[in-house]
Amino acid sequence: MSDMNHHDHSPEIEAMKKAMRPQVETDDRYWRSLEQWGKDPEFQKMAEQEFLSSPLREEDREDGWARREFLKLMGASLALGSAGCLRRPVQKIVPYAKQPEEVTLGQALHYSSTWFDGSETFGLLVKTKEGRPIKLEGNPTHPLSAGALSARGQAMLLSCYDPDRLQGPKHNLQRQGDEKTKEGARSNAETISITWSDLDDKVKAAVSIGNTWILTGHVASPTLRQMIKDFQGSTKAQHVAWEPTSPDALAKGQEASYGTGLVPSYRFDRARVIVSVDADFLGTWLTPMAFNKQFADGRRDVVGMSELVSFDTNYSLTGANADKRFKIKPSQQLTVVMGLLHEIVVKGDMSSGLSMNPALKQTLAAYANASELLGLKDPQAISKVAQSLMKAKGESLVVAGGTAAQTEDAVLLQIAVNALNSALGNDGFTVVYGQAQVALNGSTEELMGLMAAMNEGKVNTLIIHGVNPVYFLGDAFKKALEKVETVVYTGSHMDETAIRADFVAVDHHNVEGWGDSEAVAGVYSIQQPTIRPMYDTRSVLLGFAKWSGSSSSLAKVETDFEAVRMVWKEKIINSGEKGFEDLWYDVLQKGTVGALRSQRDAVRTAKVDALVGIKPEAKSGFELVLYPTVQLGQGELANIGWLQELPDVVTKIVWDNYASISLATAEKLKVSEGDKIELDVDGLKVKIPAHIQPGLHDDVVAVSIGYGRTRSGKVGTGIGVDAYPLVLMKNKAAVFSGRSVALKALGEKYQLANVQGHHTMEGRAIVIEATLKEYLENKSAGVHKHHIFTIWPHHRYDGHKWAMSLDLNTCTGCSACVVACQSENNVPIVGKKFVLQGREMHWIRIDRYYTGEPADAEAVFQPVMCQHCDNAPCETVCPVLATVHSDEGLNEMVYNRCVGTRYCVNNCPYKVRRFNWFNYRKEMRNPEHLAFNPEVGVRVRGVMEKCTFCVQRIKSTKDSLKQQGREMKDGDIKVACQQTCPTGAIVFGDVNDPQSQVHKKFKEEPRSYALIEEFNAAPAVRYQTKIRNNNERTINPRHEEAKKGEHA
Amino acid sequence: MQKVATFGRITTWLSLAILALVLGACSKFRPAIGYNKNYQPDQPIPYDHSLHVGQYGIKCQYCHNQVERSKHSNIPALSTCMNCHLQVKTDSPHITKMREAYEKGESIEWVRVHMLPDHVQFNHSAHVQKGVSCNTCHGPVDTMKTVYQFEDLSMGWCINCHRQPENKAPLNCTTCHH
Repeated sequence: MSDMNHHDHSPEIEAMKKAMRPQVETDDRYWRSLEQWGKDPEFQKMAEQEFLSSPLREEDREDGWARREFLKLMGASLALGSAGCLRRPVQKIVPYAKQPEEVTLGQALHYSSTWFDGSETFGLLVKTKEGRPIKLEGNPTHPLSAGALSARGQAMLLSCYDPDRLQGPKHNLQRQGDEKTKEGARSNAETISITWSDLDDKVKAAVSIGNTWILTGHVASPTLRQMIKDFQGSTKAQHVAWEPTSPDALAKGQEASYGTGLVPSYRFDRARVIVSVDADFLGTWLTPMAFNKQFADGRRDVVGMSELVSFDTNYSLTGANADKRFKIKPSQQLTVVMGLLHEIVVKGDMSSGLSMNPALKQTLAAYANASELLGLKDPQAISKVAQSLMKAKGESLVVAGGTAAQTEDAVLLQIAVNALNSALGNDGFTVVYGQAQVALNGSTEELMGLMAAMNEGKVNTLIIHGVNPVYFLGDAFKKALEKVETVVYTGSHMDETAIRADFVAVDHHNVEGWGDSEAVAGVYSIQQPTIRPMYDTRSVLLGFAKWSGSSSSLAKVETDFEAVRMVWKEKIINSGEKGFEDLWYDVLQKGTVGALRSQRDAVRTAKVDALVGIKPEAKSGFELVLYPTVQLGQGELANIGWLQELPDVVTKIVWDNYASISLATAEKLKVSEGDKIELDVDGLKVKIPAHIQPGLHDDVVAVSIGYGRTRSGKVGTGIGVDAYPLVLMKNKAAVFSGRSVALKALGEKYQLANVQGHHTMEGRAIVIEATLKEYLENKSAGVHKHHIFTIWPHHRYDGHKWAMSLDLNTCTGCSACVVACQSENNVPIVGKKFVLQGREMHWIRIDRYYTGEPADAEAVFQPVMCQHCDNAPCETVCPVLATVHSDEGLNEMVYNRCVGTRYCVNNCPYKVRRFNWFNYRKEMRNPEHLAFNPEVGVRVRGVMEKCTFCVQRIKSTKDSLKQQGREMKDGDIKVACQQTCPTGAIVFGDVNDPQSQVHKKFKEEPRSYALIEEFNAAPAVRYQTKIRNNNERTINPRHEEAKKGEHA
Repeated sequence: MQKVATFGRITTWLSLAILALVLGACSKFRPAIGYNKNYQPDQPIPYDHSLHVGQYGIKCQYCHNQVERSKHSNIPALSTCMNCHLQVKTDSPHITKMREAYEKGESIEWVRVHMLPDHVQFNHSAHVQKGVSCNTCHGPVDTMKTVYQFEDLSMGWCINCHRQPENKAPLNCTTCHH
């Protein structure tokens, strides 16, 4: 044994070695978890390890042999295999019988399409190969989403290949007793298959009796709207549109202030000062991807960048991106806006936009000391915010909304916000009411009317489309459903509502059928099918046509295509002189019709009468906040593993929801991270793990909705806790937040899988921030220029040299790129257990750093992927040359050479390499593999993988340019993360091309820096510093010191 | 302990020796393990390249028409065959078989001759564009009654060409593997 350790480890030599290592700057002002902030020794130990456990100890996976056993078996099978010298299995090639004109084998075809996620419309380009959609991308011609696609939009593709999808129309013989049946499986005594004609006959008979109601989610499709109208015309059916997160308080507020109850659209790009009261417009509020783009547009030019102030109950993505973030509790939302109103209307005397009520000033007087009422540290805080709003008069924007602002006073809050925007002259400019979001007309009031009618037995037939009311509304809706004679549901799964319906008229998936969407008034996009329907499904458009018995031409259509064409011909495409046919094909190719209006709407006068007489409320005790997450939203897509394993944008927790509480509250309750606590909301008790969230108000308990599905399918069922029962239906509105809640520690342990803590860079200076003031003085404020000395000649790049630039100032951390990369590069998901061991496989991760004290922590986001270093540390340690450098600057990973020593990952300073501990693809169920990108290999067990800069895209672009005989120009190649990025934070290109954007970012941008530059790994990825438009404080005290003591 | 160690060492050497023998025996009949040079499977329809290409002089791209714009060289759709065989040799039993499949909208399951492993991305169009002749890799197809694999299609064989300076071909790993 002793000769194993014969190396000399004398302390002197160790010390000398240490002194010879390059000096690494550390920066402990940034931290990623409370453990790191508190310098927990356990955390330090974990941070030093790349993977958290030994592979040999993994027995509970089917293929978890101990390595020795594996070698034995491998030896045997190698001998057997070679003894026969057999030809590999015979493969067959089956050509087309008739060659389809447009198909070239191996060449991708892109179709324009569209998707409406219940709130936001995306223009899509669907990439298909041989009639199979493999990737969704944003359509750059869409006026709102403009090429961006959200994480959920990217992942939506996978639901087409979801094995749990229903494969044909079903008839439920039993509508009750489902609690006993096992997930997914329904016995023949409960559910049978039915033919479409039988189903149609039965539904038609039920509809003909009368008393038919239709319940849908938001309907953005003009064709479906027309179809429902037609159906209503012949059947006298009533239509209720509703989604749990419908912005109906917003519409009601608009109605009370201005007389029209439509949800306006917003222009964050026009606003120089933005104040958000719990409206998470970058994460989940209304149309977040479009808002992300607008927000970034307003900040791209750093000198004139906009200012974002956020009053946050939960730690939202918007709060994380704010220049100033104030933590509040739900009962204080109104105080914030009234305080601002006081400063502006009373002190600033700006009331020209209001139909002034003299009593208002008296009411507002009570809010003169709003900062104190809110308990803010700075007694001038509210007045400072009001000052900047007034400075940007006419070019500012105040928004409030979302479920976190859906308190009992939600409508009052909206009226107050409207008053602010009108007083400031923003109405019509940043609040665009002339081009309203017409689809977002859901109404909780109408839903409650429907439920009352159901309970009274006045509903004979109920047709449910595009919404899952039993999951959202629970027992109340279940009970009401029992009184309905015939229930027809058009969902895709045997979910919570489907098992309680008589007939499940399975709808096409978005990529299988025709459809359309109206994003805002006058902006239309069209949905094209890109795959033949996989199963015996049928478009809901045909359902309404068949069941109505109407004699209109729309009801006589035979296909969804005809229906869409008919409506577009009549309503949307103004054919004029050019024939409809020509225009139709133009529209199909482009995918969109209409544009955003550029002229401003007139300023409306806001009524303020409703605000008179309200008083500041001093509430004590814990208050509940319910919020949808970026990854799951309302919870419809819970069965998509990509979304479950997408780290939450702020907390970075996967596969769970939890109750976020502040550190002080946790200490008071004596709970630590993951301990289960019991929430008691008016006697309704929910057990849920606690997450200690920095920057949260001590009285806030925040829980996300969208989890705890009971019948979503194999992936999503039973993940997390259902928070919908905590929603209170009161005064014809849903109360999501502000309810009093009592907390009790249960003393039970639970593990939350938080990826933030994995792949840490151990406190080195990696994310760099500066304030606008610092930036104006010194454009490279915060960036430390290192004197790098090397005796090694640099690589020569004679042709292209690929590089990427990431602007931290526009990156909002929305995480769309993570799923885009996963979809493009066949990145597997591993499940919660393995995430706990640090084995998540994402090639791009978004690090979230907190800075400051935990009580008031601010956040910074930083996407990190393989940095493609010129002097790559991973390349020098690979014993089998599986990772090598290309002559175009790519750090190449050759899977078939890799033997899995994992030396490279241990030597990577950026921790971006991922190891396949198992054959994750074996866990996939048919037909999920159809979503694979055939241009990228599927990695097997024992192989290292990492970001390739989408080398398959570089190659296919080169090939197609060769065929066209054209030189490459900047922008020809768009990598997957860049393509979907709403803010344009990611730029990829050839740094050798002096005209390229990335060249300019590298050579001319003073904010540019590389990660751990002093190591001289010479990364091909450079970042630009984040600038905070907050001149009240200094971010870089160290910078001045560092300048003085600049190291040689 | 000593004995056990020796025994272990002997078995290791012995198994390695056996392995080497087996591998050696194999390589006598085959160029190398895993490669399939000269593989010549029977096809469901005995399509004769020597007749069509050699005798009648039909160009490769007449049938494999996507080879110039796709990474794959396509096996022609039945409709391509029927361009001629609606008129020509309609009484042959093989043509009848094909016509019946075509009329039913079915296809023919050809046996794949040239196959690269899944981790290799080969692009036909890039090579054809550069002026590499079909024969360079596929051999004298115009004389083959039944197509066989002419070259071993090993990596060494690929690289051999890519390394020639006059070809100016890329040598990066990701040229073929990603």
